[in-house]
Amino acid sequence: MTATHWVTRVLSALLAIALLLGSLLVVVEIVAAAFGRPPRLVPYPEWTSWLRSHSWNDWIVDSILVGFVVVGLLLLLLAFRRGKPATLSLAGRMPGVKVTASRRSVEKSLAAAASRTTGVAGATASVGRRTARIEARTVTRSEPDLRKEVESAVKARLDSLGLERPLRTRVNLSTKNAR
Amino acid sequence: MSARGNVANRIVLAVLGLLLLAAGGLGLALSVGTFGAWRATYPVLPEEVRTFPDERPWFWWAVAGALLLIAVLALLWLLTQLKTDRTTRLDRTTDARDGYTTLHAGALTKAVEDDAIGIPGVTKASAHVHDHRWQELSLRVDLADSADIGAVRARLENAVVAHLREGVSDSSFPVSIELRPGGQ
Repeated sequence: MTATHWVTRVLSALLAIALLLGSLLVVVEIVAAAFGRPPRLVPYPEWTSWLRSHSWNDWIVDSILVGFVVVGLLLLLLAFRRGKPATLSLAGRMPGVKVTASRRSVEKSLAAAASRTTGVAGATASVGRRTARIEARTVTRSEPDLRKEVESAVKARLDSLGLERPLRTRVNLSTKNAR
Repeated sequence: MSARGNVANRIVLAVLGLLLLAAGGLGLALSVGTFGAWRATYPVLPEEVRTFPDERPWFWWAVAGALLLIAVLALLWLLTQLKTDRTTRLDRTTDARDGYTTLHAGALTKAVEDDAIGIPGVTKASAHVHDHRWQELSLRVDLADSADIGAVRARLENAVVAHLREGVSDSSFPVSIELRPGGQ
């Protein structure tokens, strides 16, 4: 599960609880009002008078409406965001067998492959749908072929995986002292 | 969580997002006078709207009915978050007239895990049977950094999957394998 999936799931659970409790609360108030009982948990007479005393161009109303728009856009963003893939498909060999590699493990593996290159003190990797980005920290500045060596180590690791859609590789080198 | 649950979440979030966006957008349009400058100074709850239910006793009961429907849908949405498509049994009945054959998924997954962990380079294996549109075994395999991924994959496909399919007497039983080089 990716971070986007977790956020979507937690938010969905919270919204579902809010909708469930909110709806039932209002139903209870409607039934209570039908029997002539005063409001218990929802102070709707106050809310009604507030809505009657404020016009559309009041700043407070506008602020609430802007809030609606912002929250609406955030929900839409979450609903349509693809995010990084949780797994990467590997080329199929056997019918009925789907093989994938988890993205996080591929990132860890690529970082390890890059770190093993001579002259590299450490590396991190980030894998998206199309590109693998490697941030490698070098010990010395004057290593003209180092980028190629790192790239070649990362490509060899990716080739050994046999991904269905090959990834482009981007390697960034930085000196250890610069950090 | 099932894949269907994820789709349901995205659909409901998109619907709620569109509703909020539409409500906020229309309100702001009213506020800036898009529908007439006079409307911008109108109260948010005009008198005619406030008194609308007074002559219509059914109105609040209709609202209560709609809210109950929303509450039921919200409960179903909440239950979707807890649902999983994992199953504990595999129905291997070929002809009901000859009797029913059920295989405990736990026995099958244990055998698959034991088979997979015996492959050099595999540090951990966990298997589950899922029942979504069809039954499928999913196998998650953690690999050591030094593991030869190609060789491990070949062993998994040629030995582990073959044994599994032999065990369930189905040469095309769907299998999903997740390799985790570096074990994460």
